[in-house]
Amino acid sequence: MTTQTLPHKRQVLRYRVGPRIIHAMLASSFVLLLVTGLMLVWGPLAPYAAGGGSRLIHRIGAVVFMLIPVAYLLFDRPGARELLWDSFHYDRDDWKWLKQVYRYFLGHAAEMPPQGRLNAGQKLHHAGVVIFSALIVASGLLLWVGKGSFTPNGLALAAMLHDVSMLVLTVLLVGHLYFTFVYNALQGMVKGYIPEREARLEHSKWVDSLPEKEPWIVEEVVESPESAVLSPEF
Amino acid sequence: MTTYAFLLDIGRCIGCQACVAACKTGNEVPEGRQYIRIVEQTRGTFPNLRGSFQNLRCYHCADAACVTVCPTGALYKEEGLTRLDREKCSGCTYCVDACPYDVPVLADDGRSSKCDGCAAVVKAGGTPWCVKTCPSHALLYDERPKILAEAHRRAAALKMRYPNAQVYGETEAGGLGVVLVLPDDPMALGLPANPNVPLSLTAWQKALQPASLGLTGLSIAFTGLAAVIARRNHLQEVRTLEARNSTGQPTPEAQETKDQ
Ligand code: HEM
Ligand code: HEM
Ligand code: SF4
Ligand code: SF4
Ligand code: SF4
Repeated sequence: MTTQTLPHKRQVLRYRVGPRIIHAMLASSFVLLLVTGLMLVWGPLAPYAAGGGSRLIHRIGAVVFMLIPVAYLLFDRPGARELLWDSFHYDRDDWKWLKQVYRYFLGHAAEMPPQGRLNAGQKLHHAGVVIFSALIVASGLLLWVGKGSFTPNGLALAAMLHDVSMLVLTVLLVGHLYFTFVYNALQGMVKGYIPEREARLEHSKWVDSLPEKEPWIVEEVVESPESAVLSPEF
Repeated sequence: MTTYAFLLDIGRCIGCQACVAACKTGNEVPEGRQYIRIVEQTRGTFPNLRGSFQNLRCYHCADAACVTVCPTGALYKEEGLTRLDREKCSGCTYCVDACPYDVPVLADDGRSSKCDGCAAVVKAGGTPWCVKTCPSHALLYDERPKILAEAHRRAAALKMRYPNAQVYGETEAGGLGVVLVLPDDPMALGLPANPNVPLSLTAWQKALQPASLGLTGLSIAFTGLAAVIARRNHLQEVRTLEARNSTGQPTPEAQETKDQ
């Protein structure tokens, strides 16, 4: 539980540099794809799309987006496992957590059931990201290579799949940004460390499982210690 | 609402290209583009050859596939004709792929281009450029019922010489805004006998796009509002924990959270 006393400034390693770079690739390519994609279909942005520049950028963004799985495989296999396995497996605490998710939504993490490295909400988000990224890539590739040879209905189907995936991913992103803001989680993706106090509040089972030594737990982060930057996979 | 239509009498077209030139000079047709193409067609085998000129141009379908797929609203129907507001076009090429007559083409500026029925001229009370210049009365422009009546009259007359003569466009694709008088079967003249495009799915797309925007907007508004409250709650629980840590025992505030 979270009732034990916590040293003030201890920090826990949340993301090594590999995952942080991958996430930056993911976030930037996604936003680029979203904007250049919307330019094609949304009236107010449409005039800026004519000429084809946005379509070229959309394809460049798409290539970066499609390289993400490769990046995970090369530089962050534990992360890949988390996305593809952990995010689809929910234990009893997870179910209990989900039943009270409204409290977490309103900023109360303290009395929630204990969670692992990913809380059940993150698992849902990540699972959604995995599924709908696969769909948006598949439909996007169909639009890319098949556009000229589709029947109008085939084209509409691919575009619809692409649109629905975009919608789901965008709504997931809104939620993702919401919790990042409410729980001040950005530091974990930027510096790599989060205060142990908050880590225990939201992921107590995970913190308990960590070895009590560097680089996992440090007394105070001034700069990232060498050992955290150079992950074994990097 | 009155709907208007063109009459295009292939039996009378002499292939002089006057309409092509008038359209191009009269309208601001983008560089490199023309909205009418005249193609000479010969049918039959020697010595029984028959020739005619096919006008490839937008036929202003009532159920216009291009309008249905256009996501930006650049293409729209007005008084029976299919207009194109090029300012709104994103160059997505969906109309290029959807049109059963292969009419729209992206111009060099990356925007779609096609005949808009001389919208500007007609709204000012004029006659479309192509109609005005046609020297052989192959082109007319009027209210659609009148055009249809004239088309049937001409087709009947043409039947004396060409037994397959017929009217094309009365019902095709919901009824064309360009009613054609053909001297032969549409297929023989390179026109699809059934240009109706099944667009059951595309209609969904029409509803989906505004719905998506609405849903995204709603989720942003909702979380934006909740964020303020939730952030305050979380800061408070962290402060509570901190206070507990410094005194070594639960504070009243912590008790409170527990009771919730
Ligand atoms: C890596 C995967 C992706 C590929 C290969 C891809 C490819 C394409 C292609 C080929 C088009 C057709 C437009 C054109 O021809 O220029 C398109 C449209 C579009 N894309 Fe993507 N895209 C991908 C990911 C995304 C993502 C992540 C988003 C947004 C979150 C997105 C949003 C859109 C939108 C809104 C459209 C226009 C919608 C429509 O066609 O109905 N795309 N994409
Ligand atoms: C655009 C701004 C974004 C910000 C500020 C942001 C922020 C964050 C933060 C702070 C975390 C770490 C959370 C934790 O402590 O576990 C995270 C993780 C994650 N985010 Fe984002 N995110 C953004 C965009 C996206 C997008 C567009 C996607 C997917 C389409 C995404 C997918 C993920 C995933 C899958 C993780 C887990 C990372 C891993 O396990 O490697 N994020 N994000
Ligand atoms: S109606 Fe106007 S724009 Fe259309 S072909 Fe005739 S002249 Fe050109
Ligand atoms: S002929 Fe093609 S461009 Fe013209 S209205 Fe019909 S679908 Fe649209
Ligand atoms: S290319 Fe332009 S006119 Fe054609 S469907 Fe796309 S936005 Fe509409």
